[in-house]
Amino acid sequence: MSDSTSQTIVVVGGGITGLSAALESAEAGHKVVLVEKNPYLGGRVAQLHQYFPKLCPPYCGLEINFKRIRSNPRIAVHTLAEVTKIDGQAGDFTVTIKKSPRFVNDKCTACGKCAEAVSATIKNPFDYGLSEMKAAYLPHPLAVPPFYVIDPSIAGGPEGQKAFEACPYGAVDLGDLGGEETVKASAVVWAAGWTPYDPTKIEYYNFDSSPNIITNVMFERLAAANGPTGGQIQRPGDGAAPKNVAFVQCAGSRDENNMPFCSTVCCMASLKQTTYLAEKLPEADVTIYFIDIRAMDRNEDFYTKVKQNPKVKFVKSKIAMITPGEGGGLVLEGENTATGERFKANHDLVVLATGMQPNTALNAKIPFDVTYDDYGFAMQSTAGIVPAGTTRRPSEVVTCVQDGTSAALKAIQAGRR
Amino acid sequence: MDYKQDFAKEVYEKVDSGAEIKVCMQCGVCASTCPLREHMKYSPRKIWTLIRAGRRQEVLTSPDIMLCTSCYTCKVRCPRGIPVIDVMHGLASYALSQGITPREETAKFGSVFWAGIYGTGRVDEAIVPIQYCLKDGLVAGLKKSLGMMDIGLSLMKAKRLKPKMFIPPNIAIPPSHKIKGIKELQRMLDKAKALGARKEG
Repeated sequence: MSDSTSQTIVVVGGGITGLSAALESAEAGHKVVLVEKNPYLGGRVAQLHQYFPKLCPPYCGLEINFKRIRSNPRIAVHTLAEVTKIDGQAGDFTVTIKKSPRFVNDKCTACGKCAEAVSATIKNPFDYGLSEMKAAYLPHPLAVPPFYVIDPSIAGGPEGQKAFEACPYGAVDLGDLGGEETVKASAVVWAAGWTPYDPTKIEYYNFDSSPNIITNVMFERLAAANGPTGGQIQRPGDGAAPKNVAFVQCAGSRDENNMPFCSTVCCMASLKQTTYLAEKLPEADVTIYFIDIRAMDRNEDFYTKVKQNPKVKFVKSKIAMITPGEGGGLVLEGENTATGERFKANHDLVVLATGMQPNTALNAKIPFDVTYDDYGFAMQSTAGIVPAGTTRRPSEVVTCVQDGTSAALKAIQAGRR
Repeated sequence: MDYKQDFAKEVYEKVDSGAEIKVCMQCGVCASTCPLREHMKYSPRKIWTLIRAGRRQEVLTSPDIMLCTSCYTCKVRCPRGIPVIDVMHGLASYALSQGITPREETAKFGSVFWAGIYGTGRVDEAIVPIQYCLKDGLVAGLKKSLGMMDIGLSLMKAKRLKPKMFIPPNIAIPPSHKIKGIKELQRMLDKAKALGARKEG
């Protein structure tokens, strides 16, 4: 049994939920070990262009959180790390953390000389594969910690050697083997986040048939100033500005054959994304194909405002088929259930509003006896293991922040019983 | 639109798989996935709405409930997991039990097909089309088969229909080659029919 001064809380996931849980715990006086799988903190929020409904840039809030972390000696941050094992019970867990090699140590000044020296490229996961980057890279311009990463694919070869030789600070460490460490903890907050539902699983949307079918998260990158197009919304196929954009709601959601639940955020995300188009490409026509628009409580105002834009059309129909058309365009088929007409509509860019699949249903299952619901979301079931954020249910950023805070309280309580 | 529950309840209780339509969320995927969508006045989604609205006559006389070719695409894609095809067949069979024939041609073809199975335990690919065409008499039958010549030739081209099928002794009217145990098969079919009739009653 730990007392309040020696209690350590492990937080898994450095996204907005995990950051909130870590900070609230640490600022309440507890030690925190924050474990993040990516080489940077901020999670999916860092990849967004703007939040709804205020339309402010996420980096504003993230910066404040990063500053709180930097000024708090109680938080130890591990990036490129995963929790692989949890033993024990509430108040007395032994947590195993596995670290993957970054091949770059903290002498890195982010000067970028290694990237200049290397010629091998890889797909940029931060841009959801919309761009290529050097295999020695800074994950994104505002990455925290601000250290480069050498991709494992080149670390052992001549390209890695080039990076090593180019570094003036001795920061490239090609002998980095990663490692494993164990931590004693009184509680574990599991905020491992979500993955956009794989659009290739909705076979009749033919996602692979055209580069001009993208997902909502990819659209965020197209609009973001630090994205692959510098914030210019372009069709990935030919770089042209789209004139007629379709948003396909419930792409794989509320569907017994894919994800039977509603992810609660995709309607607002698409409504928000119409405002990017209104700002950047005001001449573009926009159509939202929907079953129901789910803009709850105060978000209803946002929906009302978007409806006032004459360029945005709403068609009540789940899209049943997407096929490539002429000139890189796409043909969408469905039945307008308000008018009863079947239609075929041409669009030059299609955005699939894919939903949130919990990572606990994919590759981040909690290594402990925890109960999940039918969709893989973790239930509040085991003392001392606290699922939070999108590990618990699909939710937007503001709810994740609240849930992270509530998880901190539950974690603190678990250590005191 | 008024909502009268009487007909909906009738469908839920008496039509095979009829109660499955309760979970329909009116998304319209069935309407656009059906390969015969161009030939439909009422998509499955609309049929469900008409049922909920109590439009008994429109539903049971609609040719669309007898158009289904059992390709199963709608059943596979329905996001609510409704066995659309089973409901459609259930509605067609229910209409027939009520003395309504939603689509004359399908009903005729069905009766020929069924007579073959019931009489011999087999479906003969040469005999079924001949009997189907001759159902309205010789002259009408010849006219109809001439009208379907294009289809017949395409089928031959695709080797789905072979000229030698029509050469005796392959062809005999009435077909003589009954399966073994035809009596047992007929007893099973009679029983199934009685069970179906009890529900539709």
